[in-house]
Amino acid sequence: MKKLSYLLIFVIGLGFTGFAQDDLSPERKQAVDSLAMEKVRDLSKYISIIGSKETPWSEANRVIDRAEELFMQGSEIGVSSLVRPEVSYYGVRKYLERLMRLNYSKVEISWYNIEYVSDLQKQPDGTYVGVITIFQKFKGYDKEGKLIYQDTTKKDITVYVKRKETQIGGRLIGFWDVLLGDIRVKETSK
Amino acid sequence: MFKIKKIILGFALLLTGFFAQSQSGSFNTMGDDETVLYRMNKQVGQFVKRFNLEEDPFGKTLPVTDKKYHNNKLRKKMLPGLFDEYNPRTSGELRKFFIDDVTSSKNPVFLNFHDKNWYAELSVTFLAGGDEVNIILYLTLEDENLGSKWVISNVYYSYFPSLFPKIDTNQSKNRFLHPQSHELDFMNLHKALEDPAHIEYYASGSYQPDFLTLFFYQMKTGQLKFKEINTVKFHFFQIPNWYFELSWFNRNENNSGWLISNLKYIDEKQKSELIKAYKLCASGK
Repeated sequence: MKKLSYLLIFVIGLGFTGFAQDDLSPERKQAVDSLAMEKVRDLSKYISIIGSKETPWSEANRVIDRAEELFMQGSEIGVSSLVRPEVSYYGVRKYLERLMRLNYSKVEISWYNIEYVSDLQKQPDGTYVGVITIFQKFKGYDKEGKLIYQDTTKKDITVYVKRKETQIGGRLIGFWDVLLGDIRVKETSK
Repeated sequence: MFKIKKIILGFALLLTGFFAQSQSGSFNTMGDDETVLYRMNKQVGQFVKRFNLEEDPFGKTLPVTDKKYHNNKLRKKMLPGLFDEYNPRTSGELRKFFIDDVTSSKNPVFLNFHDKNWYAELSVTFLAGGDEVNIILYLTLEDENLGSKWVISNVYYSYFPSLFPKIDTNQSKNRFLHPQSHELDFMNLHKALEDPAHIEYYASGSYQPDFLTLFFYQMKTGQLKFKEINTVKFHFFQIPNWYFELSWFNRNENNSGWLISNLKYIDEKQKSELIKAYKLCASGK
């Protein structure tokens, strides 16, 4: 999946060479949206693996490393629930490690087939910023296989899109890089 | 299989979306809880796009060439679904007049992210000397360099106005520096400075306290400490003669997400007075 992401970055980049463009046309935006969605899907997949009790400890830690690479440095996850509306803030690694250590015998994490991608807006430094909304269903079971906790959460994920350049074969190639940022996790139902 | 499901869902959403008034409430019976999530205005930006009819029921942006794009007849049918339907302030006749205005064939009104005159209002808990206090922060979008950013445009903290009560004309009679004070090296100024409760009486008649600066001062000196954000809502003033408020409704039904929670018909003069409260610090920009 990671390879595909890089390939996409590359393809998008090649498409734009010669333009030295900092603006996103609707066609380019579509390609960037796909790349951003790819990263969000990677993250969803990583969350499912990290949360699963069948994933060995070392493997989960390796996946946390991969997941961290999707994010801009310093990103935070802000979590609130229906009973605790105040937002608790976690660094990406801490959030994922908490997920790995949840005290259930079995965990089921599934994702609704719904993703909402906002428009991209330019921030003062020219970086584009957008938000992708996804929904997750979480179920935790005890030793007897009894469902003891479930919730549905809305995850609003910040996406940064930045024009970058790299040298390939002595030529400067421009490409659009996508990184995830802060995530707001809001419980919507039990 | 997923594609077929999506087509059926899409058709159903198209009906519920565009004919929200007549179909409202019947959609949950399909037993597919994703439909509620599709119908929810998941982001403020999605509310704006639905208001303008710029996206299909799946949230995909409609090309400008699409017949449904900005289609006023369809907007008229789907706009009621963007209001909180349990609130009498947003579900009555006023709503109908509002929809007629924004979908008028001669002069339809659309919203834009870069419009001026829409504001965020955050209810925030701070600690003041160990006690929890509620403070309202107003934010607005401002252009800067290559893009834009949200800035804190004003603040409401009940303590600040209490520091500056309305000037009592009787008390103000004796509280001024006479016009020859300069000849006395302003020796009478000590009366002003030794009575801080009324010190503003010695300022210009046009003096207005800047509460945002007071807020920043209290934050910088540690008198106020941030605890948490409680609620977020938005105020939209860009539609001529109308004001509406947008709030988040978390409920497991079609009428959910960001919805219009208050609607008022106000003339432009009243509106500019109201706007002052939201963007005091941004005045003159």
